[in-house]
Amino acid sequence: MFQSGIKSFSLRQLLPATKLCVNYKNPLICASIQYSTKSVDPSKNVLNNLTDWETLSEKKKISKAMKAYLERAKEHDEFMKQQQIEYNIGKRHLANMMGEDPETFTQKDVDRAIEYLFPSGIYDPAARPLMKPPEEVFPARKAAEFDEAGRPHHFLFYTGKPNFFKLLHDAADNLQQLYNFQDKVIRKKATPDPNGKLELGSSLWLSKDQLEQVLVESISDLEYDNFKVVMERLAAFPYSYRYKDFIEKYRKPLVSQKFALEIPKPSYDDEGRAFVTTYECLRKDSRGDVTIRSPGTGKITINGKDLTYFEDVQSREQVMFPLIFSGMQDRVDVECNIEGGGPSGQSGAIRWGIAWGLRSFVDKDMLEKMQVAGILTRDHRRRERKKPGQPGARKKPTWKKR
Amino acid sequence: MLSRNWRHLCRRYSQAVTFRTTEASPSQHNENQIGLFYTMEEAQCKQLFGSGGLPKSFMKQTKTFTETAIMVRQPALDLINCIKASDMNQPAIRYVLYGEKGVGKSLTIAHLLHYAHENGYLIVHVPWVSEWLRRTPRHKEMANSQSREGFVDLPLDAAAWLLHFKNQNQAMLKNNELKTSKEYVWSKREMTEAGSSLAALVEHGINRVKYACDVIDALVNEIKILSDSKVCKTFVAIDGFNSFFYPMTRLKTPTKKQVKPEEVTLTTSFLEITKNDWSNGVIVVTADQLAVPEEHQESFLPRYLLFKKGFEHLDPFVPIEVERYTDKEFLTCANYYRDRLWLRGPTEIETELKFTSACNPYNFMIQCAPL
Repeated sequence: MFQSGIKSFSLRQLLPATKLCVNYKNPLICASIQYSTKSVDPSKNVLNNLTDWETLSEKKKISKAMKAYLERAKEHDEFMKQQQIEYNIGKRHLANMMGEDPETFTQKDVDRAIEYLFPSGIYDPAARPLMKPPEEVFPARKAAEFDEAGRPHHFLFYTGKPNFFKLLHDAADNLQQLYNFQDKVIRKKATPDPNGKLELGSSLWLSKDQLEQVLVESISDLEYDNFKVVMERLAAFPYSYRYKDFIEKYRKPLVSQKFALEIPKPSYDDEGRAFVTTYECLRKDSRGDVTIRSPGTGKITINGKDLTYFEDVQSREQVMFPLIFSGMQDRVDVECNIEGGGPSGQSGAIRWGIAWGLRSFVDKDMLEKMQVAGILTRDHRRRERKKPGQPGARKKPTWKKR
Repeated sequence: MLSRNWRHLCRRYSQAVTFRTTEASPSQHNENQIGLFYTMEEAQCKQLFGSGGLPKSFMKQTKTFTETAIMVRQPALDLINCIKASDMNQPAIRYVLYGEKGVGKSLTIAHLLHYAHENGYLIVHVPWVSEWLRRTPRHKEMANSQSREGFVDLPLDAAAWLLHFKNQNQAMLKNNELKTSKEYVWSKREMTEAGSSLAALVEHGINRVKYACDVIDALVNEIKILSDSKVCKTFVAIDGFNSFFYPMTRLKTPTKKQVKPEEVTLTTSFLEITKNDWSNGVIVVTADQLAVPEEHQESFLPRYLLFKKGFEHLDPFVPIEVERYTDKEFLTCANYYRDRLWLRGPTEIETELKFTSACNPYNFMIQCAPL
């Protein structure tokens, strides 16, 4: 199953078994199909079956909506099956092309092969050529929402967005339960356990897109805001731990810190001082290296000079920021060699180098704080080129009527 | 209102770190007072620095703080000790103060001047040499010298300096023993007889601006002779001395010819007094980066700033480096600023200020201003 941007043409020639498919990303389309099929004109069928009472009574049990649904479901299943077959064939072709064993060719290998065969400079990863199993390319569809007689299963079916409103309904219900519980606690003259409060610092609410995927329904911005308001209220309640599972279901954890594992162990110099050298401290056009020595007195050496190497206050502030932030300004010595660029680039590079080197000397809490403060993040911004026809990168010529 | 004043007082004087010393006499200062501020008497300050001598930014600050407080620092103490220990019968010793921009060379000189004034020295103090040679206001008074061919006079500057000299040495000039050794003839009708007082000589220079430069020349000679004969002891302090040796001044004659510093009569006079061919005197000069144009400010070391000529002129001299604040000095200074409500906010900002100012006194002062 190929879904590609520019390269789809050549790909088709290579793999004749595949075919180009439209990606139904938006579940709204599926939903609209579902509901619109109800208005299919039934007159022809009814006329045909007028005389045949037996078949009529038999047919009546199964509603037309159900019938249409079944047809569509069958069609979809067949389509997915076909896609699956094509995907498997494509995978085997790819394995052969890459000279590997088709039996042990995994999705990871497929991705690697596609990247190799169709190198793409497109910025957005979503727009690059890809080959994924059809389940990932085509979104899940809702199962039948009504029984054979055409009666909806869900009590909120006629809201149009049963899953979403069920979620709000549940949240409100839980909130009510919590109020009751609180009343009970107050009546007993007890106080809520301060440790029992939910720790939500390490996770976030699902984003709108993610929530839409979970619910298999499209929701508007306003509805998403309502969802957040209700959930925030629920989570802020002192007894919210009683509905922990419910709340956790709609939260996703923050990205865990990968770099925590890669912190280098400091080496030791002749004087027995621990030191860490960070090479390739880059920012704008400046590059250099930063050495941090651990038992120190806060001495800073930049290209053999002290902090007066930078004449402006801002650059000096940049250099000292990680040290002051971590409270290490009197406990380490810093040596930097930096070249290229101007003062702001050089100081920015040193700032990152110091922060990166300090990881080896600070505890985990501080590391997390530094991460949150953003001093461990590289600044990849570069000078933007000037565009022809205008005086600057973005600046347009002064508008003149004539 | 009363309680508020009380609270202010309590806060001011309940600080853990002492930053002030009550010892107002520079000759009594010793190692125990390093880093502490002492307050100069207002009248004395006005007399010594009324017409220049303290840097402009510092003057502004004294006005804000309503007191002239100077920190007792190591270089000044070293110099005072040297002066106390040296033999006055030997040729005058030259001291050269040097250091980065804004570390307090001029204020060290101010401290020393206070010491000299207290100990009855005759003070020959040039507040800022570049004021004469490099600063060119729109109407700079210039004239070709009458007495010496090819030389340039700065009569107004010279007269202003004579006034400064007169103010600084009010008490000394009343001494009748200060007499001229020979007769000076200025013109057909004007002359200063041998044996007239120095005050009369100075007064003549102030009244007859035309002859101010020649008066300075004469004055310098007389001072040297008087010192040599032990009538008085002399303290020479010249700030921005290296300006005399920079190849060009910014002055231009009416014919648009650039003037070299050695062509200015004032230069010759003050180079004369910094020679060590006289005794019973102390000579303190500073080599300052700010006294020369920006393209010649790469290093603050005397050899670079004084050029070969100046270095040889002063050689042998005692170099004394004025350094940036030490940790202790920085702390007391910060406390002083806090006391004057010049610096406010949490105590953590001092750490940051220490970094951003790199312990440079001037930068520290400037950076505290908006805080």
